[in-house]
Amino acid sequence: MELQSLLLNNKSWHVRTLGEKAWLLEPEFDGEVLAEIHKLHALFEKHEIPEISETVPAYRSIAIIFKEELKDFGYVAELLEKQIKPSENVEVMSRVIEVPVCYDLGLDWEEVSSHTGLQKQKLIKAFESAEYPVAMMGFLPGFIFLDGLDASLSVPRRSSPRTKISSGSVGIGGSQTGIYSIESPGGWNIIGRTPHSFFDLQSEPPMKLNPGDRLQFKGISKDEFFKLSGESGDG
Amino acid sequence: MGSLKIIDAGLFTSIQDAGRTGYRKYGIPYSGAADPKAYEEANRLVGNQAGSPVIEFTLQGGRIRFNSRAVIALTGADMSPVLNGSAVIMYGSFLVKEGDELKLQFAKRGCRTYLAIAGELKADKVFGSYSTFGKAGFGGYKGRNLKAGDELSWTETTKQFSELKTPVEEIPYYSSKLKLKLMKGPEWNWLSEEGGRQFLDQEFKVSSSSDRMGVRLEGTKVKALERQMISSPVIPGIIQLPGNGEPIILMNDGQTIGGYPRIAKVYDSELWRVGQVKPGDTIRFEMKEST
Repeated sequence: MELQSLLLNNKSWHVRTLGEKAWLLEPEFDGEVLAEIHKLHALFEKHEIPEISETVPAYRSIAIIFKEELKDFGYVAELLEKQIKPSENVEVMSRVIEVPVCYDLGLDWEEVSSHTGLQKQKLIKAFESAEYPVAMMGFLPGFIFLDGLDASLSVPRRSSPRTKISSGSVGIGGSQTGIYSIESPGGWNIIGRTPHSFFDLQSEPPMKLNPGDRLQFKGISKDEFFKLSGESGDG
Repeated sequence: MGSLKIIDAGLFTSIQDAGRTGYRKYGIPYSGAADPKAYEEANRLVGNQAGSPVIEFTLQGGRIRFNSRAVIALTGADMSPVLNGSAVIMYGSFLVKEGDELKLQFAKRGCRTYLAIAGELKADKVFGSYSTFGKAGFGGYKGRNLKAGDELSWTETTKQFSELKTPVEEIPYYSSKLKLKLMKGPEWNWLSEEGGRQFLDQEFKVSSSSDRMGVRLEGTKVKALERQMISSPVIPGIIQLPGNGEPIILMNDGQTIGGYPRIAKVYDSELWRVGQVKPGDTIRFEMKEST
């Protein structure tokens, strides 16, 4: 259902209904869309607006889930516009985090090489030459969607998804790259594994990452991987 | 301390509560009882606080032996409950003694049954909820479904047992032919006119591959525009339309981000019905925009 626009943090957002208790805000502007989504998300987190249950940032939109059913657009619009003031300064976490990756534990180098026409070493070099901002987390717990994969490294998803992908697997799915934090099924091409554990059930919050943090990948050997992960190499 | 032992875990049995909120940005779904109405009523009948954990059974419940006296109540789908060979009631609290065996058979109507035990059921509380989320292996009983041999325990209440029953007129009827009210989803316009008709004019069949993540529907394929969809937020009740033209109604364990067009959403007030559909049931949709 089409609603109206909201002016939040000096930017215009198109509001659509996702559910009785949920709105979807989509940028009505060009430019650094993802950065603005992260900024808005950080503002919502900072203000802890009592009517809001949680917000979920994504590539091109942000979901606002309210505690109660929304009856009146104007009331909620005023509430949000009052709380999120124009040009308010908010610090979006943007740490650079080095992520060790063992490329020898990649499963799909053949497909990636044949699709991109690049050899493994060249691919690794190209892959490591960029920093990848954390765009969003989800669909499953701790899956990390990263932004900024160079177009030359894009590889279509596998036609038949694997039923089991090990935790820490780094993959390329179409024009996106990301990390499977927990073991799960999945269809992305796996180019390596990190011994880094991003998802921790015992910690609060469970993820050590925030949207906007930038990941920098760095190759390690199998020996280093097994030493860091504590797994045994024979599995 | 009271306890029970699972003799036969049935088809799909797990500990659930009202679910967890605040973690969708990390990809963690709500989880929680698929039929919140029956779940709440079960706790009310045994005098538990709202939000207490219960056992959720699916299609066929199995067998449980009580190692101690307990006050229990069963709500939701009628699985023809039998205690030591004699039928016991649904939607009412009753006493079980040490050594009693409760048997739950195939659901006559509906899909999910809730067993509440008076007291505080011991379970893993993860991110604010006792609900089991099996896909990621956390919450409830060791993060998984119950299986034969598992023992559950609870702290007994000091309250006197008082028999409570749900008024007959308030016990829901779980129909195998559903009509669900919908609102348009963000990608409703991706349906062609023909696709919209296909979606609203047919009776879908609930697929046997449905689970706590989503109810999968079978029928005449629904046509949508072939457009690239960028992964975007979803919530329970959202109906996704994958490329194969067979809609999926997202449920409690459904993903937080989805890459298929979100063509519609089932009203929240109807979601408990979705929690009670079983394979083979039929569903029709009715678009009902508020305003």
